Amino acid sequence: MADTGTAELKLGIIGAGRMGITHYSIANAHEAACVTSVADPSKLVTAMLGKYAKIATYKDYKGLLKGEELDGVLVCTPPAFNPDILDALLERRIATFCEKPYVLDAATGARLAREFEAAGIVNQVGYVNRWNDMFTKAKAFVEESLLGTPLRFRSEMFSPTIIRDVGDAGWRAAHSNGGGAVFEMASHAIDLIAYFFGAPDRVGGTSLSKVYSKQVEDVVSTSLFYDQGPRAGLTGTMYVNWSDASFRKPTNKFEVFGSGGKLLVDQHGMKVHLAKPSERHGLKEGWNQLYITDVASSVPFYVRGIEYTAQLYDFIAAVREGKAVRCTFADAAANLRVIEQIFADDAANHNRAGVAA
Amino acid sequence: MSAHIKPIDRIIFGDNQFFGINHMSQDKAQERAERFANLENVMAVYDHAIDAGIEAIMLNANDRARGICDAFRANPAKYGHLKWYPSIPYPHKYAAMVNDKGMVGAVQEILFNKGAKSALGKMARGASAVMTLDAVKLMKMLIDEEMAIYDGLDVRCVFLQNIITDLMLGYDVPDPFIAYCEYIRERYGAWPGLITQNLPFLRAKLRGWGIEGVVICASVNKIGYLMSPGVTEYEADLAANDGAKYPVMAMSTLASGAVPAPVAYDYINRLNIQSIVFGASSPGNIKQTVSLISPTQLQSEAAE
Repeated sequence: MADTGTAELKLGIIGAGRMGITHYSIANAHEAACVTSVADPSKLVTAMLGKYAKIATYKDYKGLLKGEELDGVLVCTPPAFNPDILDALLERRIATFCEKPYVLDAATGARLAREFEAAGIVNQVGYVNRWNDMFTKAKAFVEESLLGTPLRFRSEMFSPTIIRDVGDAGWRAAHSNGGGAVFEMASHAIDLIAYFFGAPDRVGGTSLSKVYSKQVEDVVSTSLFYDQGPRAGLTGTMYVNWSDASFRKPTNKFEVFGSGGKLLVDQHGMKVHLAKPSERHGLKEGWNQLYITDVASSVPFYVRGIEYTAQLYDFIAAVREGKAVRCTFADAAANLRVIEQIFADDAANHNRAGVAA
Repeated sequence: MSAHIKPIDRIIFGDNQFFGINHMSQDKAQERAERFANLENVMAVYDHAIDAGIEAIMLNANDRARGICDAFRANPAKYGHLKWYPSIPYPHKYAAMVNDKGMVGAVQEILFNKGAKSALGKMARGASAVMTLDAVKLMKMLIDEEMAIYDGLDVRCVFLQNIITDLMLGYDVPDPFIAYCEYIRERYGAWPGLITQNLPFLRAKLRGWGIEGVVICASVNKIGYLMSPGVTEYEADLAANDGAKYPVMAMSTLASGAVPAPVAYDYINRLNIQSIVFGASSPGNIKQTVSLISPTQLQSEAAE
């Protein structure tokens, strides 16, 4: 890794899709970082970036890693491509920010997490809800035992992503590309659970349903259980639907019920119901309402939401100053283990149903 | 700046209340989306706004805008005097396209959806089209497509949505900003407008690039909500701004309802702000807001 103490951080982007171009803008606006290069298979994208942004462009990550001296790379490719890319970054010891869900299997995810950590290379995954001010505040409430002992949780996510038959053309249409509501959406709902409580030990009662998709699920529901550790006995449910046209944009809802109260939180607000008032938190007995304006932090540069800037600035701070990372490869690998449990449980339920019939 | 461009209005009536947008409460947003699914309910609110003295309207080019514009065009005697401040594009349209088809697929869809004989189709034809694609020309065509729904209305300023402005701002490339501003002045005889959540950053870049005569629309409220990097920087930047070169239009003045209107406008009225856009749906709230906005900047207490 180059000396990053004072010089401007040189960043490369692999995959200039919707997330890649967003991260480009945010990272490039950072006063101590600049994007110097992009790799993308689309000639349209690289021609535009070369012509107007006047940066180096490459058709793939191999060219980019050969042609550039980089302090950090943002990996924004479909996750099926990521193991090879991450191995190459590991070999070159380059700090890496990887878009969720990171890779597609828990074993590869855990191996890469171990190897990046062992090599002391900064590694971060873009589960952006961990930087949302509302979720961060709710997590702090739970950790400060505002709700007593957490007993149940409910993690839900809704979006109008697939609201008609779009055929089998796009990468979303197959699990092998990282498509389907589990990899794309439920991964966020699982990560929120993990952000609050750590990854659960097992799942049960899973049901995956199709609405429009042919090869992958559009609706996901399951129960999640903690058997060991400090959260032993905690149980919750997850319900994710990416074919719900009643939502204008992707929305996470999270609910925690504990021995002392409960909270309901989404990206924009939170309701807390308490058995006893909490002077420390300035909350009264019964219902309390918190708005995003009560907790919103500020970022130096805003593109799609405070959390998008906050997560990249944290990555840059981790590379420059060794600041701790809020969502590591290991965190994302633990989510992949839960995802594999969900697929296995659904398959087992189908087998049981088949035997019963 | 073209001499024919007229000063911008002090008070503009916005549209978030109609389209299920509420940064604070999704329940409230949903409730309103249901009520305003009916065009008559939308027009009734506009009538209340006009009764309260509103003469200028900001409207995003979303899938409802055409019907609304048609209703205004259908009654020139009643609505012909209104001045229009469209904002383009409707970002969700393009986001959905990218979801379905990917980035390149979305561009192809945009190029070909009018048919191969259209101007866009002609441009896209041929194997080398992608490599020779003139982004500025493409942008102009997309602007015209978005602006078609406002045809025949008295357009005073055309705003670029903040998701686009701020995304491009991070790229630190002046060309698209220069091209956008020139085209809006030439083709529409209107002020180019940029919506942003990064007012000081944007203004510094525009000055550096030598771009003037642009309306900047930004969140301005007492608590710093959606104001990057923060209230202090905004206040300093506004105080130093030449409102003739960069008229500033404040939005989110109530911070999604977190600041009571009298407090909010007492704050806004003392800042060097040329214009205010607000949205409301009850006649009482509309009248109250209009009455709270002073016609020009008030002296700040410190200066008195």
